[in-house]
Amino acid sequence: MGGFISRWRRLFITVLVIMVVTVSLSLTARIRGNVIGLSTLINTVVSPAESSMAFIGRETGLGLSTVGDIFTLQQQNRALERQLLKYKSMKLELSEVLAENSRLRGLLGLEHALGRWKLEPASIISRNPDSWFDTVMIDQGTRNGVHTGMAVIVPQGVVGRVISAGPNTSTVMLILDPKSGIGALDVRSQSTGVVLGQNPVAGLLKFQLFSSKANVLPGDVVTTSGLSQYYPKGLLIGQVVSVTHNQYGLTETATIQPAVDFNRLETVMVVQSHPSGASIPPIFGGGKS
Amino acid sequence: MNRLRIGTWLILYLLALLIQVGLLPQIYPMGYVPNAVLSVTVLIALHETPKRGMWAGLLGGLMQDLWAGRLIGLNALTFALLGYGVAWVQQKIVRDPIFVPGLIAALSQVVVVPFQWVLLYIFGYHFSWLMFSRPLPVWILFSMLFTPALGGIVGFGTRRNRKGSAGYRSLSL
Repeated sequence: MGGFISRWRRLFITVLVIMVVTVSLSLTARIRGNVIGLSTLINTVVSPAESSMAFIGRETGLGLSTVGDIFTLQQQNRALERQLLKYKSMKLELSEVLAENSRLRGLLGLEHALGRWKLEPASIISRNPDSWFDTVMIDQGTRNGVHTGMAVIVPQGVVGRVISAGPNTSTVMLILDPKSGIGALDVRSQSTGVVLGQNPVAGLLKFQLFSSKANVLPGDVVTTSGLSQYYPKGLLIGQVVSVTHNQYGLTETATIQPAVDFNRLETVMVVQSHPSGASIPPIFGGGKS
Repeated sequence: MNRLRIGTWLILYLLALLIQVGLLPQIYPMGYVPNAVLSVTVLIALHETPKRGMWAGLLGGLMQDLWAGRLIGLNALTFALLGYGVAWVQQKIVRDPIFVPGLIAALSQVVVVPFQWVLLYIFGYHFSWLMFSRPLPVWILFSMLFTPALGGIVGFGTRRNRKGSAGYRSLSL
C-alpha cells in the first residue's frame, strides 16, 4: 500500500491540487462576499505601496506629457487669449442668469434638497490585477464613513458601487464589470431596464430593456431609474449607441457608451447619503474627473 | 543547483503585482493592462525544475487571485501549468538570456488567454472571444520586452547558464 502511494505520489498530489483549485473556482464563482473581503484586507495592508506605485506612474506620465506640452503651449496661449476676450463679455450675461437661477432654485426648494447630498471624495489607488474584472481600490474606508453598497460617482456620471470596505480602503465595482447591474431609465422614452457591464476591453454597457417595444433610439440619454437599492435616481449613465432586437422580437437590447471615461478616472465621490426623489447631486454638470 | 528560494519568489511576485495594479494602469487603458505575474512565472520557470516551476506558478497565481478577490484558482491553475510547461520546455531548447525568455513569454501569453477564456466560460463569465482576445497583441509585445528586461534587472539567467556555461548553447534535445 505504501509502495503504491509513493509510486503514484506525484500524480496523486497533482490531481489533488487540480481538484482543490476546481472546487475553489466553483465556490468563488458563486460566493463573492468573503472572497472580496479577503482581497480588501490584502489591499489594506499593501495600500501604501500601491499608492506609491500609482503616484510614481502618475508623476512619470505627467512629466513626460509636460515636456510634450511645451511645443503646443505657445499656440494654445494665443487661442486662449482670444477666448478670454469672448468670455469676459459672456461673464456679464452669466451674472444676470445666475441671479435669476438662484431665485428660481429658492422657489422650487432645490437648494434644500441639494444640501442633503453627502459626498466623500476619494482617490483611486489601484486597479484589479485581472483584466477581466473591473474593480478599483479607493483610499477611503469605514473610518471615513464609506460602507458596502454606497454609490460612487464623478461629475460626468455613475462610476460604480462599493462592494467591500476595509478601515482605510474600499473596493469599488465599476459599472463596466461583468457582474454589475443597474436599474436604468431611457430619459426620452421613459423605458426602463437593467444596464449590465460587459467587458472592460469593449468599454460599453448593455441596456437590457424590460419592454419589447421600448422605442429606444441611438443618442438617447440613460440615467439611473432609482429602482436599484444602491443607486439614487437620475444619475447619468451614458448615451445609447445602437439598439438591437432579438431574433423573435421579444426583447430589445441597447448598447450604451458610458458617460464616464474610465481610463482617466483618478478621483471619485462616494455617495454617503442622498435625498429621496429625482434631485441630482451638486457635483453633476460637467468638469474633469 | 542554483535554485531560487521561495522568499525570492514572493518578493518578485509582490513587486510584479504592485506594478500591475499601481503602475501599469497609468500607462495602459482599461482591459489592456498586461500581466506582469506571467512574466515573473516564465522567468522563475526558466530557472527551475518543472516541479518547482509549477509550485512557483501556483504561488504567483494564488497571490494574484487573492489580490483580485474574484475567482480563487483561475490564475493559480493557469500559472501552475504554465510554470511546469515552461520549465519542462527550457530543458530541451537552446537558451539565452534575451530571446528565449521573450519568445517563451510571448508564446505563454498566446496559450494563457484562450485557456483562461475557457475557464471563465465554465465558471459563468461568458465573454465574447473577439473582445477577450483583442488586447492579445499588446500583451504579447509587452511580455516579449518586459520579461527579458526584468530578467536582466534582477540578474536572471536560465538554469544552465547559471551553472557556468556560455550565454548561447547549441540544441540539446
